[in-house]
Amino acid sequence: MEIYLPIAELSANALILLVLGGGVGLLSGMFGVGGGFLMTPLLIFLGVTPSVAVGTGTNLIIASSVSGTMAHWRRGNVDFLIGALISAGGVGGAWLGAFIFKLLRDAGQIDLVVSLAYVVFLAVVGCLMAAESVNAMARRQRASRRKAHVHTWIHGLPLRMRFRRSRLYVSAIPPFALGFLMGIVASIMGVGGGFFMVPAMIYLIGMPTAVVVGTSLLGIIVISSVSCFAHAINNNNVDIILGLLLAVGAVIGAQYGTRIGVRIRGEHLRGLLALLVLAVGGRLAYSLVVMPDDPFAVAPLWGN
Amino acid sequence: MRVLRRIGMAAIAAVLAAQAAAFAAAAQDEGPDEPLLIALSTHHIEIDSNFAGTSILLFGATDVVGDVVVSVRGPEEPVVVRRKQQSFGVWVNQESIAFRNVPGYYFVAASRPLEEIAPTEFLDRRQLGSERLLLEAIWFDTSGDADEFRAALHRDRERDSLYKAELGTVEFIDERLFRATIDLPAHVLTGDYVVEALLLVDGEVLSTRQAALSMEKAGFSADVSAFARTDEALYGVIAIALALVAGWLGSFAFRKG
Repeated sequence: MEIYLPIAELSANALILLVLGGGVGLLSGMFGVGGGFLMTPLLIFLGVTPSVAVGTGTNLIIASSVSGTMAHWRRGNVDFLIGALISAGGVGGAWLGAFIFKLLRDAGQIDLVVSLAYVVFLAVVGCLMAAESVNAMARRQRASRRKAHVHTWIHGLPLRMRFRRSRLYVSAIPPFALGFLMGIVASIMGVGGGFFMVPAMIYLIGMPTAVVVGTSLLGIIVISSVSCFAHAINNNNVDIILGLLLAVGAVIGAQYGTRIGVRIRGEHLRGLLALLVLAVGGRLAYSLVVMPDDPFAVAPLWGN
Repeated sequence: MRVLRRIGMAAIAAVLAAQAAAFAAAAQDEGPDEPLLIALSTHHIEIDSNFAGTSILLFGATDVVGDVVVSVRGPEEPVVVRRKQQSFGVWVNQESIAFRNVPGYYFVAASRPLEEIAPTEFLDRRQLGSERLLLEAIWFDTSGDADEFRAALHRDRERDSLYKAELGTVEFIDERLFRATIDLPAHVLTGDYVVEALLLVDGEVLSTRQAALSMEKAGFSADVSAFARTDEALYGVIAIALALVAGWLGSFAFRKG
């Protein structure tokens, strides 16, 4: 069923988009990742401009993070106070990110910056995952227990607050700053940013692992909503139809992914996902260095 | 064959007569004695999501024997042309030139090669022929040659069939009646197009006629894209709301099942 995507300005098969959303949702459910970091490059390969891929990505992430948050909330694994601090920082960051995006677009550099950011991001994530998967396969039996609480400079910061759900008494600054950073990254790359957020919450703030995913997802809902709004206003690059089709697929896929993820041994699949991530990054890198068909490109002149 | 030709002629004459009647009423103030009349097969085209390009016919009649040149210009907008250059192995947009008033569509057809119809100075002044389009640079960010950027702009438009390097044909059916086919490709810009016909005798313009042609997006997709551009804030809120509902419904449906 061919459907015309009004903002992306191209025709695509609705079933393929549903399957694509489902596939990325399946992976994100299996590995507990957002999936935005795979979706945006895949959309670019389909011929969607990097700008629309990012804007629509923010829309898609709202849907997938809502269903994820609901699941964690039902189990009581959301720290709303830390979530609120992350969101407060994220609002400013997401707005700033969309503004930087607009400046880069007007300067004709946004496609390059988005692609480069993804190449670096996917290379780092892919390598880390590959290394972790190899390590895990090598020493499956001798799992070492992480210390419950490590004191770092983070804990010397002022404005300390009591977070009941996380059983913490730490400064309000790190969650706020973390949200701010995540907001910028989310707006420029069209990702949720759980990949950065989750380790930072565990190792920097010292939150208990159980509440980390639900809390970061809550922050991602707010950050991606603000980012989506800022993109819609500043850059006109949010395609509702495309976003909705991918979201329906992703939400359904994620539910099955979670069920599969519980049953299957992680290391091998994580290794496969690492290879997939590296392949997507490599393909993007290739398109940056290969000689373009025509070195000239024509675009409408924005603003003045 | 003769019969077929007769029928064809009669049909064209009928179309022309009908259009000419409407035309004569509209053209009163231009003077009733113009030796040139033109009519388009349609003045309004709706572009829906299935639009894959279309062709329209221009019919015309002349009182005297001469040459006819037809030109079509699409809506104009400022355009920036950027050149990628390799730095550190990566192709980066580096130099650019912006041009003012670049027509989104340009087409010329004539009954003979343009250079045989009129002197080059005339063709340059009237911007007849896509290579004679006046592309005025409004800012430079390059030390290179602006003509390279102009050529790149033409190349880009020709790839989408928005400009054509070669001249279209104005075909005379007999000494007085002529027609031309205007091809509009899938990627045409919406807006107002100007169709102009010139009647030339011995290189002098005897008569000029203009007709308007408008292209408009129609259908659901067009409504969505127009909405996204005119009412950005509400569009953003709806985009967020739809995503929230989709996510919530998804988790709700699966909890039950």
